[in-house]
Amino acid sequence: MKGQRLLGLVAVVGVAVGSFWGLFVAPADALQGDVQRLLYVHVPTAWLAMLSFFVVFLASTLYLVQRKLRWDLLAVASVEIGVLCTALTLILGSLWAKPTWGIWWTWDPRLTTTALLLVIYVGYLIVRSMTDDPEQRARWAAVIGVIGFVQVPIVYLSVFWWRSLHQPPSSPRSMATVFGATLLLNLAAYTLAFTYLLLRRYRLARDELAFELAGPEEAP
Amino acid sequence: MRASVRAEGLTRRFGRRWALRGIDLEIASGSVVALLGANGTGKTTLLSVLCTLLRPTAGNVEVLGFPLPSGGDQVRTRSALMTPSGHAYEELTGIENLRFASRMAGLRPAEGALEAALEAVGLSEAAHTRARAYSSGMRKRLELARMRLRDLELVLLDEPFVSLDESGVALVQEAIVAWRDAGATVLIASHRVADATLHADRVVRLERGVVGTAVSS
Amino acid sequence: MSGIGRRAGAILWKDLVTEVRTRQGFSAMISFAALVLFLFSFAIGPDTQLLGRLAGGLLWVAILFTGTLSLGRAFQSEELAGGTRLLRLYPGDVRAIYLGKLLANLVLLAALEVLLFPAAAVLFQIDMLPHAPGLIAVAALGTFGLSTIGTFFAGLTVHMRARELLLPLLLFPALVPVMLGGVNATDGILMGDPMGRVEGWVRLLVAYDVILFVVCVWIFPVILEE
Repeated sequence: MKGQRLLGLVAVVGVAVGSFWGLFVAPADALQGDVQRLLYVHVPTAWLAMLSFFVVFLASTLYLVQRKLRWDLLAVASVEIGVLCTALTLILGSLWAKPTWGIWWTWDPRLTTTALLLVIYVGYLIVRSMTDDPEQRARWAAVIGVIGFVQVPIVYLSVFWWRSLHQPPSSPRSMATVFGATLLLNLAAYTLAFTYLLLRRYRLARDELAFELAGPEEAP
Repeated sequence: MRASVRAEGLTRRFGRRWALRGIDLEIASGSVVALLGANGTGKTTLLSVLCTLLRPTAGNVEVLGFPLPSGGDQVRTRSALMTPSGHAYEELTGIENLRFASRMAGLRPAEGALEAALEAVGLSEAAHTRARAYSSGMRKRLELARMRLRDLELVLLDEPFVSLDESGVALVQEAIVAWRDAGATVLIASHRVADATLHADRVVRLERGVVGTAVSS
Repeated sequence: MSGIGRRAGAILWKDLVTEVRTRQGFSAMISFAALVLFLFSFAIGPDTQLLGRLAGGLLWVAILFTGTLSLGRAFQSEELAGGTRLLRLYPGDVRAIYLGKLLANLVLLAALEVLLFPAAAVLFQIDMLPHAPGLIAVAALGTFGLSTIGTFFAGLTVHMRARELLLPLLLFPALVPVMLGGVNATDGILMGDPMGRVEGWVRLLVAYDVILFVVCVWIFPVILEE
């Protein structure tokens, strides 16, 4: 408990400092202006979306091998945070794209893959809601977690190949501006926040499961 | 005593519903056991675990000497389950259903063996009729025919007498005797006490997922 | 090993015979695919050149929609007969069930495509004959990918409530590479592959098919568990 609290505290402080830095201290980008500051949040959330997905994959595999429900709980915790991060990534990305590229959306490989990632996550959560039996739920979810993860690189590659067909890697890709320290700071802070949230959500899921199983017995 | 079934603390739940709560059971090899109990006491669940359809939530189970779930395939090779409703593919004829089942079980029955099997259960006339026209009694006879084609060490019968007329019930009893004589272990789960205990060496009663007073006869 | 082949063959035979005898399944597929082609043609307009350029896309949309529909029925015959649990009781690897159903689905889709491609050739006035081998190869690869992941998800969702919603939802992201690969390779072939890209797409489809097939075959037994 104490470790968790400390982690939470450090994460909050980290995010606060990182945000302050990103908003006020780091210089505005020469070309993009202040809009570029969005990236200090957007890139971390994109990173977290990928990280959480990887955690889901690991947890799902572990469940399928060991059949211990705790892995399923970790997976669902990660998915929920992942959905949030993915949605945030897309929204922030859109908000950044409009002033920068003039469009809300484009079929860029990363964007497309992220959008599909969201669909896969949502599918995961819907499948979970389809059953009350914890083992069955864990089993179905784990299958989706594994297959979903396997799909992602191939989807990315296919969209990349598709896009390169229609135009050369667009210049917005080379948006290497004042990143460096500020970005790293935010990345670290958000990763800490992710770990904290994951832990809290996992513990909550564990309590929920215990409650679910301890309820008055259903008559056979 | 060689046990064909050994269960220790066998537990199975479905969410909050506990179908089996810590069953301790040992069934001697080659015996015929009547598994009695009202509806919902866990008979079907127990049979399902024993034939590897369900994994136990907790506890140890050993069937025919093979631990579950790791020895599942070994168990399936030597055991069979008869379902209450009789399982058949509607669009296939009786004999096609048998042929399919045989191939799935890894058998290569001789040409006339399938017809003979159908005749033995009184389905010769319906052999080339699609199963969608079969009554539930006929489907059960078909399942019986399917099971008799195989060499079984463990036979699990879930409500085998339901939906059958007198001659059908007689066929099942005949099959039970044949299996016993061949040295197989037979478990009969039924709420029809008289029919189930006719050839039984032992009676096991299930009450709310546990073994009640086991009475040996 | 021959055991799994025999058993997969038994399932394949059973599913195809059932399909032939009920007859509704395949005719529904044809009607639906034809409908898709026609509706899209009307939506896009009579510009033949435009339709010709979009032919690859239209064909694959028709195939994927129809395929998704037919996959929904892949495990239905089992449900009617008492559930997949009975299939699980047979000795031997349950993966035979997956393989058998995968093949059955492939056969049905192949039969559909044999009708669909010529129909599209006529409707959109494209000469497909000189490109036939390439088109067939791409169609085969894409259809295999669809059937592989489709049969898998069909098995997964058969026990779920709202399976008609879930199957397309789960399939959609998984089919993006098939869609992109199928359409672009088909278009490329029909136009004589001016940019030499078809090979890349074919390789992508092959990679997709292989990877997903291996993973699906591997995990399949988990789907049938209870």
